[in-house]
Amino acid sequence: MPVVTTSWYVALSVALFTIGALGVLLRRNAVVIFMSVELMLNAANLAFVAFARHFNNLDGQIFVFFVITVAAAEVAVGLALIVAIFRTKNSINVDEINTMKG
Amino acid sequence: MNAFSLAPLILILPFLGFLFNALVGRRFVEADRRVGEQWTGWLASSMALVAFLVSASLGVSLAAGGFEAQTVKLWDWVVIPAAEFHVPWAIQVDTLSVTMMLVVTGVGSLIHIYAIGYMHGDRDFSRFFAYLNLFIFFMLILVAGNNYLMLFVGWEGVGLCSYLLIGFWFDRVDEKKQPMNANAARKAMVVNRIGDFAMVLALILMFWTFRSLEFETIFGSAVEMFERGEMVHFGSFSAPLATVVTAITALFLMGATGKSAQLPLHVWLPDAMAGPTPVSALIHAATMVTSGIYLIVRSNVLYEIARESGARVLGAISSPDLVAYVGALTALYAGLIAFTQFDIKKVLAYSTVSQLGFMIAAAGMGAYVAAMFHLITHAFFKALLFLGSGSVIHGMEHGHHHVHTPSHPCPSQGEGQGRGFDPQDMRTMGGLWNKMPLTFVLYLTGALALAGIAPLAGFWSKDEILAHANENNGGVYVLLTLAAICTAFYMGRQLKMIFFGQPRHEAAEHASDSPAVMWVPLAVLAALAFFGGYYLNLPYFSQAAAEAAHGHPEGDFLRLESWLEHSLAAFELTEEGVVNLPHTPIVFSPTVAGISTVLAVGALAAAFFVVYARRPGTAHDPDPLEKTPIWWFAILPVNTLYMKGLVPAFNRTAAWLADTVDERWWHDFFHDRLLRDGFLGWTRFINDVVDTQGVDGALVNGSGRLARALADLLRRSQTGYVRNYALGVFLGVVALLAYFIFAG
Amino acid sequence: MGNPILFIILATIALASALGMLLNRNAVHSALFLILNMVTLAVLYLVLNAPFIAMVQITVYAGAIMVLFLFVIMLLGAERTSGPIRPGWQMYLTLLLTAVLLATFGAVLLGADGEGTAVAPTLDASPTAIGLTLFESYVFPFEVTSILLLAAMVGVVVLRMRRKG
Repeated sequence: MPVVTTSWYVALSVALFTIGALGVLLRRNAVVIFMSVELMLNAANLAFVAFARHFNNLDGQIFVFFVITVAAAEVAVGLALIVAIFRTKNSINVDEINTMKG
Repeated sequence: MNAFSLAPLILILPFLGFLFNALVGRRFVEADRRVGEQWTGWLASSMALVAFLVSASLGVSLAAGGFEAQTVKLWDWVVIPAAEFHVPWAIQVDTLSVTMMLVVTGVGSLIHIYAIGYMHGDRDFSRFFAYLNLFIFFMLILVAGNNYLMLFVGWEGVGLCSYLLIGFWFDRVDEKKQPMNANAARKAMVVNRIGDFAMVLALILMFWTFRSLEFETIFGSAVEMFERGEMVHFGSFSAPLATVVTAITALFLMGATGKSAQLPLHVWLPDAMAGPTPVSALIHAATMVTSGIYLIVRSNVLYEIARESGARVLGAISSPDLVAYVGALTALYAGLIAFTQFDIKKVLAYSTVSQLGFMIAAAGMGAYVAAMFHLITHAFFKALLFLGSGSVIHGMEHGHHHVHTPSHPCPSQGEGQGRGFDPQDMRTMGGLWNKMPLTFVLYLTGALALAGIAPLAGFWSKDEILAHANENNGGVYVLLTLAAICTAFYMGRQLKMIFFGQPRHEAAEHASDSPAVMWVPLAVLAALAFFGGYYLNLPYFSQAAAEAAHGHPEGDFLRLESWLEHSLAAFELTEEGVVNLPHTPIVFSPTVAGISTVLAVGALAAAFFVVYARRPGTAHDPDPLEKTPIWWFAILPVNTLYMKGLVPAFNRTAAWLADTVDERWWHDFFHDRLLRDGFLGWTRFINDVVDTQGVDGALVNGSGRLARALADLLRRSQTGYVRNYALGVFLGVVALLAYFIFAG
Repeated sequence: MGNPILFIILATIALASALGMLLNRNAVHSALFLILNMVTLAVLYLVLNAPFIAMVQITVYAGAIMVLFLFVIMLLGAERTSGPIRPGWQMYLTLLLTAVLLATFGAVLLGADGEGTAVAPTLDASPTAIGLTLFESYVFPFEVTSILLLAAMVGVVVLRMRRKG
């Protein structure tokens, strides 16, 4: 029976992070992009908790606590922004938001 | 009495005169023409006069103090301790420099006074005197400096003043709308520059070899190094001292050819006659062009070392011999060309080139005292001749205006040109001896002095050179004798054409003599030309007398030699046995003198016979001797040989010479095409290609275009799509991460 | 660290739900997948001896944040699909970079010595302990975070305000 080491959890975290990154870069729906960002944050949280356990230190979990808090704040503001943009452009396809084209 | 502390005055005063005339002179002149001209003119002249008095007092102090050379240091100029390069701004007062100072300021002040009358009425009166004073200033720096760098400053400065003064009437154009004065000035500058380039190389070599540029230091270490047989090291390659000294002296020769108008850089001097006549007299007869000779005489130690060591330039000829031959060839060449010139000043210009050749040849042969002697006497009679020609031209213009517009006020020189009448053309003159008697007498004095008729000054100085050449260098002697014949001939021709016979133009019929302010300086110069030679450097008249004085100058004889001996280190070195200075005979040699006198008189007479009196003719005239009564031949049997055999040959030669003159114009053409057009093409290239396209186009505009192109390129990255930006961020993050994990 | 089988199951569910979120064209479905992912992660936190964090994850993340997401999706009618992922040069570059990223991480992970603490943790991760640590060592970030939340709330209100005079 192989022992589950910290590396496994970190590997999982990496995989989730990568999937989240792909989501940010490849999806066109603004809300889905946002959700991918949340996924990335969660992946990072997983890594933190794994290391907290590895080093026998609570600091990792504290950090996760803060990450969740900040993620909440960020989601609130971000979604408000998306709604505001939707009001004007009537679409949440990020490809249509290109008026900053230089 | 110690006058050495006054020495800086010789530099300060002319400079003050320059400042005054440059800054406020114009206002004086324009406020009240008559008074203003007097003020500015006499102020400038008095600066030169006071400088002359100071130089004279310096000479007296020197004599009283045992002829020891003194250095009056003004301040330290260049001090670079790391390179041991130290050049002071100091005045060297020794007999040689005092001699030059006296010539420059003496003749200079006479010419200043003359110019007050000559330039009367000119629009730029004060500017002229400003330039004249500036010139005196620079020339005095040249002769009074105690190091080669000061000499070079003066060298360049007089070149500049020559440019300013030749092109004084810079807006004057000839029939073809060419700005001839400006072109002549530019030509002088460019040709001088070539010599200057050689001078700079020589300075660099000297500094490298001797670690100093001061005369005393260089000459002292040169002698030491020569006696020890040292080598000079240039990095990985070293040469014996003699080779380096030969190179330096050859480069000095190049510089002197530029400044003193020797072959092949003589082309600027005839063109420089476009300047006002006082300029020609001062700069191109008495002072600037003699700076080349001063340079060589000052560097006599180096030349003697070169001669002693036997090192050869390009393996063919030793450097001093090269100098001698260049001088002799120039003397002959220019003398021949003067035969066919019709412009009164051009004849004198070529004559100057020829006489400078004499001086350079003398210096090259080691007869430094003779060279300086001829320099002094030449200054006298050539300035006299030039100023006299100015009087003649003035008189002709008066006559012209008197005939055409009797009410027109006096013009200044050259205004008659471009209107179809050239007051300088000798073919329109004639019979002026009774129209301008004073000028005639003075001019005659100068011409006879130049031709070398005893007992005028030119005879003694030219004779000394010929005697020296006779004893030491036969080839040069022949060349110089031929040149002396030419000199006498063309001067006789000029005298005949201007003063004798019948007036050939109405202007000549109404010519009038010059005002006092113009002929008094001429008279002074004529007196100097008459008595100067006798007073300055009379040789012993018999071998017995020479032996009684143990071969040394004494009493009334050889005054100049005893005076200059103290500054010409070569004399001392000969006594110490370090070098062998070719010996100038101190006894009057009747053979040499006799030959030269006979030839000179004969040439003068031949000229009088050959040259037409009444109607303008060509050189193909039938031999006038056929009409001469036979008794002339009986009286002068020696001349028979010349007149029967040589004169017809001379006629034919003169005709051929017209082609040679064409050849000279070809030379000029060569210079014009090669030098001038090449130079202009080069500057045009630099302007159009390098500057306009290169610097402006590529660098300035190009960088603008480059910035814009880059901006355009970079603008494409601003797509406006958020995902592209996110991709960019992701790319950066991945790159950094990969770097830190794999390479960091 | 628990049973490897448990881990593998949970990991599989997590990855599958993540991929589901990524690939699903319906935004609501994506959100639901994400909720599943978060719950799975909460279970993993429990396994990793972080009970408080697990509860917080479920309460805040899955319970509040994701609900907010769903609200917005419904509000905007974003469940309408926006087409499949168009393959373009961006996609290939992204995949390339992702491969590089994975390779980087893989190198690190493989190079790391994989001894994890198989020993039972001695860490006290109860809410009491977390609270104590929070208020002893991390009180400053805690207070700052409260200001951050205040700022976020103000921002949201401002963004939603229509300009009326």
